[in-house]
Amino acid sequence: METAELQDKIFAFCEAAKGKKKLKEKDIIKGVSAELSLEADVVKKAMRGMIDVGRLMYSYGGGASSVEIPSEEYLREKGMIP
Amino acid sequence: MAIPQRKTDIGPPKYDQFLPPAIKKNYGKWKYHEVITPGTMVHVGESGDKLWTVRVASPRLLSTATIREHCDIAEKFCDGFFRYTTRNNVEFMVADESKLEPLKKELTDRGFKMGGIGNAISNVVHTQGWVHCHSACTDASGLVKAMMDELMPYFESKPLPNKVRLAVACCVNMCGAVHCSDIAVVAVHTKVPEIKHELFKNMCELPTVIGSCPTRAISPDPANKSVKINAEKCMYCGNCFTVCPPISIKDADRDGVAILVGGKVNSLRSNPKFSKLVIPYISNEPPRWPKAVAAIKHIVDVYAANARKHERVGEWIDRIGWERFFSLTGIDFTFQSIDDFTFMRDTMRTASTFKW
Amino acid sequence: MKKYSTPLIDELEKGPWPSFVTEMKKAAKTNEMSNDAVGHLEKCYATKVGYWKHGGIVGVLGYGGGVIGRYSELGDEFPGVAHFHTVRINQPSGFYYTSAAMKEICDIWDKYGSGLTNVHGSTGDLVLLGTKTDALENIFAEYSSRGWDLGGSGSALRTPSCCLGPSRCEWSNYDTLDLCYALTQEFQDEIHRPMFSYKFKIKMSGCACDCVASIARADMSIIGTWKGDIRIDQAEVANYAKKGMDINAEIIGMCPTQCMSYDGKEIKINNAECNRCMHCITKMTKALRPGTERGATICIGSKAPIVVGSLLSWVIVPFIKVEEPYTEVKDLIRKIWEWWDDNAKPRERIGEVIEMKGMRSFLEGIGQEPIPQQIKEPRKDPFMFYTEEDMVGFKAKEAEEKKTGKYKF
Ligand code: HEM
Ligand code: HEM
Ligand code: HEM
Ligand code: HEM
Ligand code: HEM
Ligand code: SF4
Ligand code: SF4
Ligand code: SF4
Ligand code: SF4
Repeated sequence: METAELQDKIFAFCEAAKGKKKLKEKDIIKGVSAELSLEADVVKKAMRGMIDVGRLMYSYGGGASSVEIPSEEYLREKGMIP
Repeated sequence: MAIPQRKTDIGPPKYDQFLPPAIKKNYGKWKYHEVITPGTMVHVGESGDKLWTVRVASPRLLSTATIREHCDIAEKFCDGFFRYTTRNNVEFMVADESKLEPLKKELTDRGFKMGGIGNAISNVVHTQGWVHCHSACTDASGLVKAMMDELMPYFESKPLPNKVRLAVACCVNMCGAVHCSDIAVVAVHTKVPEIKHELFKNMCELPTVIGSCPTRAISPDPANKSVKINAEKCMYCGNCFTVCPPISIKDADRDGVAILVGGKVNSLRSNPKFSKLVIPYISNEPPRWPKAVAAIKHIVDVYAANARKHERVGEWIDRIGWERFFSLTGIDFTFQSIDDFTFMRDTMRTASTFKW
Repeated sequence: MKKYSTPLIDELEKGPWPSFVTEMKKAAKTNEMSNDAVGHLEKCYATKVGYWKHGGIVGVLGYGGGVIGRYSELGDEFPGVAHFHTVRINQPSGFYYTSAAMKEICDIWDKYGSGLTNVHGSTGDLVLLGTKTDALENIFAEYSSRGWDLGGSGSALRTPSCCLGPSRCEWSNYDTLDLCYALTQEFQDEIHRPMFSYKFKIKMSGCACDCVASIARADMSIIGTWKGDIRIDQAEVANYAKKGMDINAEIIGMCPTQCMSYDGKEIKINNAECNRCMHCITKMTKALRPGTERGATICIGSKAPIVVGSLLSWVIVPFIKVEEPYTEVKDLIRKIWEWWDDNAKPRERIGEVIEMKGMRSFLEGIGQEPIPQQIKEPRKDPFMFYTEEDMVGFKAKEAEEKKTGKYKF
């Protein structure tokens, strides 16, 4: 699978959980690699690529961290959108 | 000026570039050390080299101006090398004895206080308090300052049976490493939080708030579109406020501090020990917390007068018994000192061999 | 710049101990944010409550930690602290600096932040207190391009820290500074990109004095120890006696295992019975030194009391060699994380998971045999599990006994 396509799947996975469950990195890696029968490392790399460019972001609450789709405010702050 | 290109995952700089030459040369080959005064010690290497260390008090919260002053002193006497300790003191090291007295004189002239080495009271481990934390029941830095002003003789010169390690945590989360201290101050809320139900719906996520409570005291309140708190379970930790601002726990009149004693982390003679609660509540009295400070001073003085040489506070109490600790200090014994949480079965007495 | 009247906190400029209020005012002279922090603090003292809000999500791109969001409820009244985020800079092992490096750190912080710091925070990081969200990327670029990285926060490996060990302490049983540096470098990904169920702390002390309090505040405590005999210099023992030390009372009588004796001339130690508590060594620094076969004890699980009570770390591996390239230690850490990852619910520290799943599951998970050095005392109740393999083992042992005619308990 192309990285871009995989990343779209990961994004969809996160979008589906939005507001319902705080996803840890591991939840995404496990969930997506099971769904698509892919190596965990491949998913991890694709996900990290998304975090590096602000398509996903690390979030924090309850003393524990999670991965989320960034808010517009965050993207603006990082100069990703005007 | 242009912003340089960032790098990631580089970690900290390697420590060896910051080690003074005398340390590099004798690294791992030190033979022994001697405490000369509470502010000075000397380490002697197998090579016969000597390294004098001067320890200086710091409030931990430092302005860059003061850090630059540390740098200037290091440049003048220590070839630019210096370090901080795990209890946030500053240390200047010289390998040439002739620099020691001029260094100490300069420190004195600049108003720095030297001490804390050996059987002394060193700096107080503490947390952020009102200076920088949302959860604080009190101000840690202020309490520390007021305590240390009073205990200064034990930092600078007056010997004790052994070290007395002090710590302050500004709420029961205890971010600062104090639970195993000879004397610990922990600030407490004492009241079940109040909830502004009308604001709850817009500002808080129900599952998050319920999940935030460590004692599971929070349940949904559908009628108010909010939550309710079971007062019997709540132990005022403030986590719910943390995730939901309309829940308020701060109370200027009732927030206060508790005092715990007898902890240690090392294994010398006896195993590490937790600190145990002896004074459940003293009102929050900024700016100088006179009663809390007096209580700590009193406990230190009773320990100094009664403990044997080399006994830490907890070891002294283990020898004389807690009933004797309470009678010697005159501290009122309260229900709060009886564990009604996880450790009751281990902490009640199960024999008739106590002292009157 | 607005001038605040601060009669209450001014009281904390009096007295001999160095004053944090003086520090804040020093920074406030040239820095608007610090100036407002001074006014903000005076208000806390006047009303006896705090006004900080729990943080929002702030950080630098690609990292999941190292910056802690902090906002004030009173942002309108004190605009300089409306944003007042913390930046954690990973300290060098042992907290050694040169003035040149430290001045560079200060220059950058004066340019982008409040000029206020904690040297150091309780985690070990060099803590920069108070900056605005839009400065964060620049701050990171400035520091990282000069060789400084951020520390950990959130569900990550927190910045490892150590005592000064061999650099200036004769008792260190392994190179704490180098192990700390090596682990920090090895696990950069785990520090910056939170992938655990909760936080994980590693602290390293060179001996049982435990100057970084690792036994009480690290999920993994690596505490130096030795095997073999305490080295004795009898001439120095005589010197201590000559200088007036009551060796019988202060040393022999306080030895917890009663394994020492002193005949008025020489100290003898029954080293087999010594539990290496360090008492005698720390009191007779010139006469007694640790043995020479050195390594560390690894303990697991300490955490603060939130909420079912605090834990001290439990002995898991009584002795491990700590030598470059530290493969054994690194492999053990990875195994521990793997077991934790497989068994933890969100926000469970490793000590809590071990309590839930049982020590046996943990020890088996990381491949450690049960040995008496791990416990204070055996269990008191008879409510235990027997696996099929255990029974096969017990029966096989008895079959063996029948053959040899000798019991083996
Ligand atoms: C369920 C609710 C929450 C609980 C039980 C909780 C618990 C904790 C704990 C245990 C810590 C210390 C651990 C650590 O250092 O990471 C902490 C720190 C912190 N929390 Fe929370 N938290 C909660 C929600 C939040 C939320 C909603 C935010 C922000 C939006 C937040 C922001 C922070 C910050 C900024 C710190 C200091 C960060 C750090 O130490 O790295 N917390 N919290
Ligand atoms: C007699 C035994 C001890 C000796 C010789 C000793 C030696 C040292 C040395 C060399 C340091 C500097 C290390 C550093 O800053 O990283 C130090 C610091 C420290 N030690 Fe120990 N230690 C002893 C016992 C203890 C005990 C019993 C405790 C705690 C219960 C303890 C806690 C600390 C702490 C917290 C620091 C930071 C020091 C400061 O800033 O004052 N030490 N100790
Ligand atoms: C629900 C519980 C907790 C909350 C909400 C909490 C929150 C926080 C916050 C907001 C800070 C940052 C203070 C600042 O610099 O602005 C902090 C710092 C810290 N926390 Fe906690 N904390 C919690 C529990 C703990 C626990 C259980 C520990 C460890 C046992 C811990 C260890 C620390 C440490 C080491 C720091 C750095 C403190 C310093 O250097 O002063 N926290 N915590
Ligand atoms: C006055 C009461 C106490 C205070 C102020 C206090 C404070 C603290 C603080 C600030 C830390 C975090 C240190 C760090 O990570 O840098 C800590 C950790 C810890 N405390 Fe306490 N504590 C107290 C009582 C206790 C008690 C009664 C126990 C046990 C019975 C205990 C056990 C622990 C343990 C095991 C840790 C490990 C830290 C971690 O989670 O990283 N504490 N304590
Ligand atoms: C599964 C666990 C246990 C069982 C099945 C059990 C059973 C018994 C039985 C059958 C007796 C004799 C009663 C009699 O003489 O009428 C007894 C006596 C006793 N048990 Fe237990 N017991 C258990 C655990 C314990 C424990 C944990 C303790 C204390 C920590 C304990 C303390 C005693 C004492 C003090 C006596 C009286 C002994 C005497 O009179 O000499 N038992 N137990
Ligand atoms: S102990 Fe409480 S008030 Fe103090 S810094 Fe930690 S969470 Fe904040
Ligand atoms: S203060 Fe703590 S114990 Fe009380 S309801 Fe809130 S979260 Fe629960
Ligand atoms: S823990 Fe031991 S080795 Fe490390 S500085 Fe303290 S006394 Fe020395
Ligand atoms: S180290 Fe402790 S147990 Fe060993 S001989 Fe010395 S005092 Fe005794």
